[in-house]
Amino acid sequence: MDILYLLIPLSVILVFLILGGLWWAVHRGQFEDLEVQGQRVLKDD
Amino acid sequence: MQAPSDLSLAAPSRDAAVLDDPQQWGAFGKPVADSQDLWESNLVIEGMHCAACAITVEDALRQVPGVVSAEVSASSHRARVRWSTSRVKPSDWLQALRAVGYGAVPANDALARERRLQESRRALWRWLVAGLCMMQVMMYAYPAYIAAPGDLSAEMERLLRWASWVLTLPVILFSCGPFFRAAWRDIVHRQVSMDLPVALGMLITFVVSTAGTFDPQGAFGREVYFDSLTMFVFFLLSGRWLEQRLRDRTAGALEALLNRLPDSVQRLRADGTVERVAVSRLAVGDLVQVVAGETFPADGQIVQGHTQVDEALLSGEALPLGRGPESQVLAGSHNLTAMVQVRVERTGADTRFAQIAALMESAALSRPNVARLADRIARPFVIAVLLAALAAALYGWQRDPAHALMVAVAVLVVTCPCALSLATPAAMLAAAGQLARRGVMVRSLSSLEALAEVDTVIFDKTGTLTRDAMGLGTITTRQGVTAEEALAMASALARHSLHPVSRALTQAARARGLSDSWLASEVSEQAGQGLTAMLAPGGGGAGRRAFRLGSAAFCGHAQGRDAAVQTCLADEQGWLASFELTEELRADALAVIRDLQSRGIAVQMLSGDSPAATQAVAARLGIEAARGACSPDDKLALLRAAQQSGRRVAVVGDGLNDGPALAGAHVSFALGHAVPLAQARADFVVLGDSLRMVALSLALAGRTMRVVRQNLAWAAGYNALCVPLAVLGWLPAWLAGLGMATSSLLVVLNALRLASTRTSRLAAGPSDAALTLE
Repeated sequence: MDILYLLIPLSVILVFLILGGLWWAVHRGQFEDLEVQGQRVLKDD
Repeated sequence: MQAPSDLSLAAPSRDAAVLDDPQQWGAFGKPVADSQDLWESNLVIEGMHCAACAITVEDALRQVPGVVSAEVSASSHRARVRWSTSRVKPSDWLQALRAVGYGAVPANDALARERRLQESRRALWRWLVAGLCMMQVMMYAYPAYIAAPGDLSAEMERLLRWASWVLTLPVILFSCGPFFRAAWRDIVHRQVSMDLPVALGMLITFVVSTAGTFDPQGAFGREVYFDSLTMFVFFLLSGRWLEQRLRDRTAGALEALLNRLPDSVQRLRADGTVERVAVSRLAVGDLVQVVAGETFPADGQIVQGHTQVDEALLSGEALPLGRGPESQVLAGSHNLTAMVQVRVERTGADTRFAQIAALMESAALSRPNVARLADRIARPFVIAVLLAALAAALYGWQRDPAHALMVAVAVLVVTCPCALSLATPAAMLAAAGQLARRGVMVRSLSSLEALAEVDTVIFDKTGTLTRDAMGLGTITTRQGVTAEEALAMASALARHSLHPVSRALTQAARARGLSDSWLASEVSEQAGQGLTAMLAPGGGGAGRRAFRLGSAAFCGHAQGRDAAVQTCLADEQGWLASFELTEELRADALAVIRDLQSRGIAVQMLSGDSPAATQAVAARLGIEAARGACSPDDKLALLRAAQQSGRRVAVVGDGLNDGPALAGAHVSFALGHAVPLAQARADFVVLGDSLRMVALSLALAGRTMRVVRQNLAWAAGYNALCVPLAVLGWLPAWLAGLGMATSSLLVVLNALRLASTRTSRLAAGPSDAALTLE
């Protein structure tokens, strides 16, 4: 069970890493304009 | 993690000084008509969370010397300020807003869009942080809930608590930012609003839990509530986030319309080359090129090319319309299929688009009476909640301070005055948006309230129950005057009026190539009666004479053949000619009247035409109460009589010739394309050409008021039930947070039912399923 003393702090760090990824996604505008991006693939040019 | 500084609140006054330049004012406002130095400007207010904020902003603006009036809409976050150019500068009132803690940007401005994007990104980011941290904190809390005594070592429990504390930090420091900022602003300005109890609840929970983590032997005991805290922050943010999305959708029609014009456009130079210019620099007479998929930047006439256009938001016409050379296109409509070249005829504020946008803005800003009542209740309600929480905390303090505090937290978090103040505007905006999509503009939201109570509808005949376009029948003339001559004179007069009869005359004259043989001057129109003017022959010859065109009585002529509509022309020597006009009933008139009658609404018809012509139409439509030969004053008198006998009356007319009656009615509708919107003084303006929209609006108004009542009842019932439960300590904090968020959401969702096409068709009932648009 001692491994938990390592895993729990690691999970905290992991949460911050995921948050970092989400920050990037939100501020790059990945969540805006969801419909248009889906339709873009159907356009010819 | 440190909260990034809020750009919108800390915005430097860089742009404020720019706005003092009079050249900038036109971008977000317009001068007030009939006044020396008043301007009306539109703003988007930032940092507003609820109805109480709207009042604060309003008060702050009004206290600036030189600001005449200020109206703020809590649901659309828009403000309209009237101010005197000689006594105050825009930067002064922007400064006043900043002093009470709100940011403002001029509406109709690219800056506003940019800011709004930033704000929505930040909101999403806050929500994600709260959600992810909540999930992980739940995991850390789980062992403590399921472990049998002794299973969990003391060190392990402490480690889990520390981990929870670390992950709660970003939630409390960053995700809760808006709540704390708003609460702090309220304290500084000695006000109370929605955010104060919530922020207090969060702060208390965090302090108690932190004490439990680091000082388990302390006064607050060893219990921690990180899971409850992160959960209710997440619920609250989810509620707000969804609410904001829904509101954007509700006001979507409005926003879509306001932001519809493109920023730039391709203008053709004289040599045929193309340049890109800002739409604001377009001038009348310019030739522009609009490719498929673009929006027309101005009203104009197609010079070259055939295409299909989508005018759904401008006229309610859902199908694409074909347009070729010489046909008109409207600013704000979409070019669907092919590139066309357009000669600009009207730009900026003169376009029909701009007039509609102005109408919609005024509707979104008006606050219905029911909502005013709710706003007044919200403030004392919050104070009562704070006192109840304090009482609950004091009561349990002796036995267990930590538990007493958490009971107080539940009280603070569970209350939902927002549901109370959201109830009405949310429903009414949804209804107005729905109507706007169908081509009905609502001038103020209170008129929806009035429309729901209407039990009598008075229709004007010509151009309302009958088709807009009339045909010209036989022309009878005085000895020595030919029919052609009479028509040429009549059309010279008629060109100055928008009455359907006048339009029919003008059109008939143009069809026979007679248009320009006479010149009219000193034209004046007596609404509902006729026109007078001086006419001179077009070639400049002598013979300037006074003419009248209008009803038989107006021209001093005895009624002719009774059953037909006719209009007369007279000069100084008396009657000169009679024009018989043929009119067709609108295709949907009968269905609409039947539908209204089947719903128990009395239908009446008043007309300025001869009694016989009026009766003939009334008989075909099944209207019993019909009166012909009414002057506008007669119409008004009959309207007043109906109102005095306790009836709630709606008047449907063409918006121009029925002015007094429309103004006197409880609710008024103006119908028909041809009327310039700025002149139509009606509560509802039907942009398309469809009478069924009147029946639809009536049905929707009734439904809206039902939803408003449901919302108010729900908000009142929820608070009445949950606050006592929380005071008694039977509601854990996380459940309180969930209840509060759900309560707000339910209100908005219930309102949103009005915006969905499917339900409005169902709601209209089987009888007018045929009336709703497909």
